[in-house]
Amino acid sequence: MAANVKFYCDSERCIECNACVTACKNENEVPWGINRRRVVTVKDGEPGERSLSVACMHCTDAPCAAVCPVDCFYTTDNGIVLHDKDICIGCGYCSYACPFGAPQFPTSGAFSSRGKMDKCTFCAGGPEETGSVDEYKKYGANRLAEGKLPLCAEMCATKALLAGDANTVSDIYRKRVISRSMSTLASSGAIQQNGFNPDFSGKVTK
Amino acid sequence: MKLTKKSNRVIDHAPNQVIDSSLIDKAGTAKKAAGEAMSRRQFLRGSSLMAGGAALATAFTPGMMKKAEAAGSTTGDIKRVKTVCTHCSVGCGVIAEVQNGVWTGQEPALDHPFNKGAHCAKGASIREHGHGERRLKYPTKLVDGKWKKVSWDQAINEIGDKLLSIRKESGPDSVYWLGSAKHNNEQAYLFRKMAGMWGTNNVDHQARICHSTTVAGVANTWGYGAMTNSYNDIHNSKSILLIGSNPSEAHPVSMLHIMKAKEENNAPIVVIDPRFTRTAAHADHFLQIRPGTDVPIIWGMLYHIFKNGWEDKGFIRQRVYGMEEVMQEVAKWDPAEVERVTGVKEHRVKAAAKAMADNRPGTFIWCMGGTQHTVGNNNTRAYCTFQLALGNMGVSGGGANIFRGHDNVQGATDLGVLANTLPGYYGLSAGSWKHWSRVWDLDYDWVKGQFDDGSYEKKGDKDVHVMNTKGMPVSRWIDGVLEDKDNIAQKDNIKAMFFWGHAPNSQTRGTEQKKAMEKLDMMVVVDPYPTASAVMQDRKDGVYLLPAATQLETYGSCTASNRSFQWRSKVMDPLFESLPDHTIMYKLAKKVGIADQMFKNIKVENDEPHIEDILREINRGMWTIGYTGQSPERLKKQQENWGDFDFTSLKAEGGQCDGEFYGLPWPCWGTPEMKHPGTPNLYDGSKSVADGGLTFRARFGVERNGTNLLAEGFHSVGSEIKDGYPEFKADMLKKLGWWDDLTDEEKTAAEGKNWKTDLSGGIQRVAIKHGCAPFGNAKARVNVWTFPDPIPIHREPLYTSRRDLVEKYPTYEDRKSFWRLPTRYGSIQAQDFSKEYPMILSSFRLVEYEGGGDESRSNPWLAELQQDMFVEINPRDANNAGIRDGNMVWIATPEGAKIKVKAMVTRRVAAGVVSAPYHFAGHMQGEDLRSKYPKGSDPFVLGEALNTAMTYGYDSVTQMQESKVSLCNITKA
Amino acid sequence: MNQIKQFFLFGLVIFLFNLSPISISNVHAADGEKAGQNFSPLGVESPAADLWRAVRQRNPEGGENLVGRSQVKGPNASTLINVGGQEWRNWRNSKLIPYSMYALGGMLLVIVLFRLIRGKIKIKAGRSGKKIKRFTNFQRFVHWTVAILFVILGITGVILTLGRYGLLPLIGKEAFGFIAYYGKLLHNYLGPVFSVMLVVMLFTFIKGNMFNWTDIKWFLKGGGLFGGHASAGRYNGGEKAWYWIAMLAGIVVVISGLILNFPQLIPILNLSSEQFQQAQFLHAVGSIGLFVVSFGHIYMGTFAMEGAFEAMRTGECDSNWAKEHHDIWYEELQRDGSLTMNDTASNPSSNETAQTA
Repeated sequence: MAANVKFYCDSERCIECNACVTACKNENEVPWGINRRRVVTVKDGEPGERSLSVACMHCTDAPCAAVCPVDCFYTTDNGIVLHDKDICIGCGYCSYACPFGAPQFPTSGAFSSRGKMDKCTFCAGGPEETGSVDEYKKYGANRLAEGKLPLCAEMCATKALLAGDANTVSDIYRKRVISRSMSTLASSGAIQQNGFNPDFSGKVTK
Repeated sequence: MKLTKKSNRVIDHAPNQVIDSSLIDKAGTAKKAAGEAMSRRQFLRGSSLMAGGAALATAFTPGMMKKAEAAGSTTGDIKRVKTVCTHCSVGCGVIAEVQNGVWTGQEPALDHPFNKGAHCAKGASIREHGHGERRLKYPTKLVDGKWKKVSWDQAINEIGDKLLSIRKESGPDSVYWLGSAKHNNEQAYLFRKMAGMWGTNNVDHQARICHSTTVAGVANTWGYGAMTNSYNDIHNSKSILLIGSNPSEAHPVSMLHIMKAKEENNAPIVVIDPRFTRTAAHADHFLQIRPGTDVPIIWGMLYHIFKNGWEDKGFIRQRVYGMEEVMQEVAKWDPAEVERVTGVKEHRVKAAAKAMADNRPGTFIWCMGGTQHTVGNNNTRAYCTFQLALGNMGVSGGGANIFRGHDNVQGATDLGVLANTLPGYYGLSAGSWKHWSRVWDLDYDWVKGQFDDGSYEKKGDKDVHVMNTKGMPVSRWIDGVLEDKDNIAQKDNIKAMFFWGHAPNSQTRGTEQKKAMEKLDMMVVVDPYPTASAVMQDRKDGVYLLPAATQLETYGSCTASNRSFQWRSKVMDPLFESLPDHTIMYKLAKKVGIADQMFKNIKVENDEPHIEDILREINRGMWTIGYTGQSPERLKKQQENWGDFDFTSLKAEGGQCDGEFYGLPWPCWGTPEMKHPGTPNLYDGSKSVADGGLTFRARFGVERNGTNLLAEGFHSVGSEIKDGYPEFKADMLKKLGWWDDLTDEEKTAAEGKNWKTDLSGGIQRVAIKHGCAPFGNAKARVNVWTFPDPIPIHREPLYTSRRDLVEKYPTYEDRKSFWRLPTRYGSIQAQDFSKEYPMILSSFRLVEYEGGGDESRSNPWLAELQQDMFVEINPRDANNAGIRDGNMVWIATPEGAKIKVKAMVTRRVAAGVVSAPYHFAGHMQGEDLRSKYPKGSDPFVLGEALNTAMTYGYDSVTQMQESKVSLCNITKA
Repeated sequence: MNQIKQFFLFGLVIFLFNLSPISISNVHAADGEKAGQNFSPLGVESPAADLWRAVRQRNPEGGENLVGRSQVKGPNASTLINVGGQEWRNWRNSKLIPYSMYALGGMLLVIVLFRLIRGKIKIKAGRSGKKIKRFTNFQRFVHWTVAILFVILGITGVILTLGRYGLLPLIGKEAFGFIAYYGKLLHNYLGPVFSVMLVVMLFTFIKGNMFNWTDIKWFLKGGGLFGGHASAGRYNGGEKAWYWIAMLAGIVVVISGLILNFPQLIPILNLSSEQFQQAQFLHAVGSIGLFVVSFGHIYMGTFAMEGAFEAMRTGECDSNWAKEHHDIWYEELQRDGSLTMNDTASNPSSNETAQTA
């Protein structure tokens, strides 16, 4: 059977360089305002700061598909959640349900209401004929058909963002965890907390 | 609306083996499916994308339209072009897919030895250059305050006539040639040559304001002023120290290597920075210092190292001069004093020092945070001293890994686009000019005759010829224009400026810069973008904007930070009416009458000088730093086979480049025929020189005050001289009995010459044959007796809020003529600005933008991610000033400038410190200048330039600008 | 008139499709809260599952969404995980959809039963042939505009909510997508018009719709539906109740609908997906509720009672009908002397046609 593909972002490696974001723009020519992928940083500027690159996670039990009023989502043999823009009505329900904020909506029409939903396709195109102009226009690149993985992961600066067969992703991650020494993990937070943010307000410290 | 059923709904065409096996492993390699599915892409990317209905598709970017229009037909082969990212000094490989001349796709170079396909936001969006919608599109001239399109011929004629008239009235030194680190090696070299042949040393580029203090400090410590190891060599590091360096934003792909060391070697990461950077977020030790206290924190760490005897005594005895004097200085920096000055507590300093001492070899990385200070040269030498004390030099995994900035700033520096040297750090002495005149095949007297005949300074009693006098540094061109004529050491003020690939907003004192621009007779901007130079002044005429091609629209070599050369292929033809820089140089040289000499041995076709010929000329002259072995042929061969090089050692195993290091990192000794593999790590004695080993350079004599300056009991592997030795000269070969190893031709060329001036390369060849380094084998010196502070000491910044420290750590005294200009130190520090301007102002950079940002802010994929200029402010200061996150605030500085920016309230900066990125431009003290750009060439994002408000202050050796510490006050707008 | 009837009928047909028995089973099949689905079919636990579990746990407040900072600007861009999404999805798929079906279906059932038990309510005294002016032209205009908009919005709304389970399996995704797409367009464009008209209606009909003691008595007597006489003024208690339900629920539906319709109308609000979930909750509950109650009104106003429909159709009612159902109003008119009767009994057949369902 076909393999099941997944994304995984290693927060110990992600440095919020946003390469994944621009790689996606590059590969799919996504317009200004639509971001199929984004990097979210928690505890920004504080000890424990970590970033994660987020896009459609191609959920096994996808909430978007469950709430879609027109049932425009489908899951490929590889476990990629795609949708059909010809059926999509731009209601926005998928964006209410999605845990990851993946669905994006171009504004369209006189009232700047929602257009057809757009989201990460795992660089696997869409329901149009593979490699066709229509497919590229509506869904972006179909790298999978060319034997390539999503460009965001391929271009990740620190290889924090992994994409591909779920087993292989897990293997890589497991190896990384093993090679990361416990002492490194244990010490980092504590040392940073100490003496973080001294005060240089011009007061004379004696 | 289609009502027909679609084709299959299942992606059943993804070959299983790809999905199963193509995952990126920890080293970052990904296996590709055999046989790229080119036909698909060919059809897709090149075909007329606008055909077909589908009103329901997503909106299109202009780029897509362009792609479609340009592609025209549905056929045409896809060309895969291997090239190099133009954004930073890491030198990431890029694979461009080009069809019918249009850049339609970008693929990761998964087999590239530097980046393994990885990119940062800038590299991952570099294909946007193929759209270039906000470029400067044709030669443009300011007439009565309006931009007017002109032809290339008219522009060159008018500019040339003006240059010649200025030359006649004020002399050649009144034209300033501001070059660029964005030029490739060949263009950079040509630019320096052009300035020389015009007859001035008033030529410089961004290296002055980026790593000039590094180059000066490091070269004066152990010989060469460059990154000693490589990004890849960090894989071997057992510990990593970063000071004033934030690679997560400035060199993101280097984090790939740093993370590898962290994870596989359990290497602790020590980050010393005033900001809790995105790199610090991944560090084990974070020392948050007060800006401008680099020397105290390093001495503070060394205090613990010396106290506990953690230094490498054997290494110091054999290979270091002057460490005892450093120990005396370090002894003054007990933990209490370190905390008083830097703000960092003892246990943290000690823990970091211990981490570095316990985990050797450790690498030491620094960037702009350390260099851009009035004491920049002290800082860089303190860093070197730290590494020497721990014995971390000349060893794989150790080294001073100085991350350079621009993609070719290393090359442009090496090729002497500087006011103080000719290409190859030969300096400006008569001997140097004679050397280069020989390389150029020109009469030395003709070259000399191009210069002003007077003298601006004396050495002892003797007048120094203008030709041998340092020019004005780029950091000070403003003063060259504004300063009273009587106060400057040259015939007349600067009257005309070339901004040839330079962003003015990367320079401090923006308001004075504006005045200087307005006072000039003429300013010429040669750049792919109009840059802030086009809009920040209120001139009505005398401004020319010439559209230069980007480096992706021409070809040539570039030198990455690790000294590796890479051949950068042309992806597409220059867009619009832009021309490659070397073509523009040729046109200008022809106009001012120096083309015959300048291109004597360089073929010129359709006004475009032949790049390969230029590189061969470089190869013929650059013996000092081994720019001689990297012929165009060798570089092209390496480019074709970049997948053969090892990810860690950079060495090719097998294949066509067997045994070579990637990029033939300089020094690549001797002639190309000698086939030296390049030197991956400088001063590494564990290899023979022929295999890329080295010793410290004998640059400072053989003894001082009775102490031997040559290495003692140390030599590189295979050396026939088993101790230190001086640099090689013809006489020395004779004494050693190695003269007859030279061929007859070599003997003729080498007679009376040394390893730097022997154009045959024979002296170098023979020295290496006997296992010796051509430049000698000496000690590194931590006492640079030629500098203002021979042992690095702490000096408070000119604008300091710590008035209590000024007396003990005062800055320098004012200097009357320093690089032709009066330079102020003490007179500024004597004034107390800290009452009115209590906050420390510092600067940093963002991953999305580069340098002045004209290029990256014009790239919508990047610009969307950083839409507002902002300032980071600690919650405590924000609350005190009544500022909330997202408020607009005024930052005012002591020299009277103020800028209006958005506040970002964050704990990233300490209380008392505010910090802002410097990439923005297009607003001036609250005024939006968008309407002043030539139509259609305004960047997507504009903002206030931080450097509008940054203040005076220059390094005591190199005139590096102080852009990391000033004072300001901040109020809600 | 026939168009109006056909329109209702068409709506009813579409509507019934959505309530067909298949649809109920579809709901449960489609939602698939399948246990163990965090694991891929290959039995490998994804590290992502661990990661995201950790992300949720790291959130100190638990239920709130974890918000960080992102360089990407846009709704929810800095929200790392939208916890409410799952709740909303569960509520929508396991509560809203089935209960809407039960409610709408139940109401239809009640009406059918009522009809069977009570039959058509005739004018006891027979038609007098004398007409009384009951509604002005403007009132009728407002009523019918709102009514037509209401029905269109209701039907399109039901298609969007329930169509996937009822209509879609019958006609296929493409055809349903077509209907849903234009249904959504219609819903989105007419929604704002409805909003305006609702406000107009509020003021147009507020006179005479204030509750008084009579209404309480009316309610106590069950509106006279099951025998006995319940006195009423110009509007009886049931009509007043409908008026207020329509207005209050209508305002909730209108406001939440505008939020959903114009996600970026007021960018400064920068609504989170949680707020959209809440808006959608209110919109769905409010409008389904309204729709259910409206069945009663529509039935009573059309098929249930002789003489009712013509009042809104023509603006005039039979005087006997007024006497029987709005006796107090009738008496008031008599007292005022403002009772002007038009003798149009010469053509009673026209009334008949209007009443024939």
